[in-house]
Amino acid sequence: MRVQLNFKSGVPVYLQIVEQVKAAVAAGSLRPDEALPSVRVLAEELRVNRNTVARAYGELAVQGVVTNEAGRGCFIRDRGQPLRKDARRALLTEPVDALLVQAHHLRIPPAELLDLIQERLRLLEQRKEKENQS
Amino acid sequence: MTDPTPAIDVQNLVRRFGAVDAVHGLSLSVAPGRCYGLFGRNGAGKTTTIKCLLNLLRPDAGSVRLFGHDPAVDEVAVKSRLSYVPDQVAFYPWHRIRDWFDYLAAFRHEWNHEQERALLKRFDLDEHRRVTTLSRGEKMQVALIGAICPGPELLILDEPTSGLDPLVRREFIRAVIGSFQEWDPERRTVFVSTHLITEFEGLIDEFSVIDRGRTVHTLEADTARARFGRLRARWSDIPGPIALEGALQVRQTGREVEVTADGNLDDLERQLRARGPELLTREALTLEEIFLAIATPREGRA
Repeated sequence: MRVQLNFKSGVPVYLQIVEQVKAAVAAGSLRPDEALPSVRVLAEELRVNRNTVARAYGELAVQGVVTNEAGRGCFIRDRGQPLRKDARRALLTEPVDALLVQAHHLRIPPAELLDLIQERLRLLEQRKEKENQS
Repeated sequence: MTDPTPAIDVQNLVRRFGAVDAVHGLSLSVAPGRCYGLFGRNGAGKTTTIKCLLNLLRPDAGSVRLFGHDPAVDEVAVKSRLSYVPDQVAFYPWHRIRDWFDYLAAFRHEWNHEQERALLKRFDLDEHRRVTTLSRGEKMQVALIGAICPGPELLILDEPTSGLDPLVRREFIRAVIGSFQEWDPERRTVFVSTHLITEFEGLIDEFSVIDRGRTVHTLEADTARARFGRLRARWSDIPGPIALEGALQVRQTGREVEVTADGNLDDLERQLRARGPELLTREALTLEEIFLAIATPREGRA
């Protein structure tokens, strides 16, 4: 897993780490029972405060993405269905709305936006397949 | 949750040199466990402020408290809990690195030899080398090891990375993260004065921009990046002069306009969009860009 921070995104640093770990899990580059780098290692690599990484890992644990095992580290959780489907859909509503607004401002018509989503989905699937083969 | 006593608390600090007010009513407070940046141009009062924290200079007015103590009254109690790395480290020329560490350790309650070994190895330094043979970067590394090994709660760095090459800078910051914060990171406070802000972007939780001895802004880093932003708009034809309400800076070159703002980006974006640009982008500012937007004379201000 490679975390890349973008200080020009305006997104809090700990949230960027949370989002990228979740993306890595969704893409299959982090699998259940795999360990996240230790707080020290990731903090040093990214040159961020340890407390920031610790906060990100705490948030990932709260969201049920990882389990935090004292003294051993953080591990990706194998989660069947941690939340009910409607709850999971509700969580996605906000980012989807933000995307729709952004698309409107960029003058991307709905059909083109849907195409783009399809294209990104295909790419993610391809990456997943590659990860599974390697 | 956190210790309510700030690691550093400065209120209305004034320090004059003759007729010059180097620090003129500066206030700031640093909670334990934070990494706090003090940003300012040369001559803004950064080093004078730090010297007042360390009781190397007496304030003319105002109060300075470290861990709740006045450093001028409880000097030993305060200094035993902190380490200071100045921008230019003075060594005894006859010392080898080993002698220097032994000398420092003699003043301290504790000295972490394991950490010392690990850091010497990390920086590829031989303890038998004479301090006079060290490069500027190596001197800073030795000073940092000397600052970390006593296990202080507060690490004060004054322009620690200026004059170092980019690789040495990175390693310096990584060592601060890896070693200084090794135990109880929520109790280990870093106070760093710098104008090389980019290097410390990720490490800084909170910062003050000071100018002419006063605090101009104190902000959380994440909040600041969410608040300060830049809009860029481009038109297919030269749009004529663009007047905008409430921007920090508006710069127009031909068909393009660049707007820097603090907080009211949505409103400014609407104002720009109303003029029908062919392209409009928006990005957050980095801490360095925020510093530049706040600290420079505001030519071209709308």
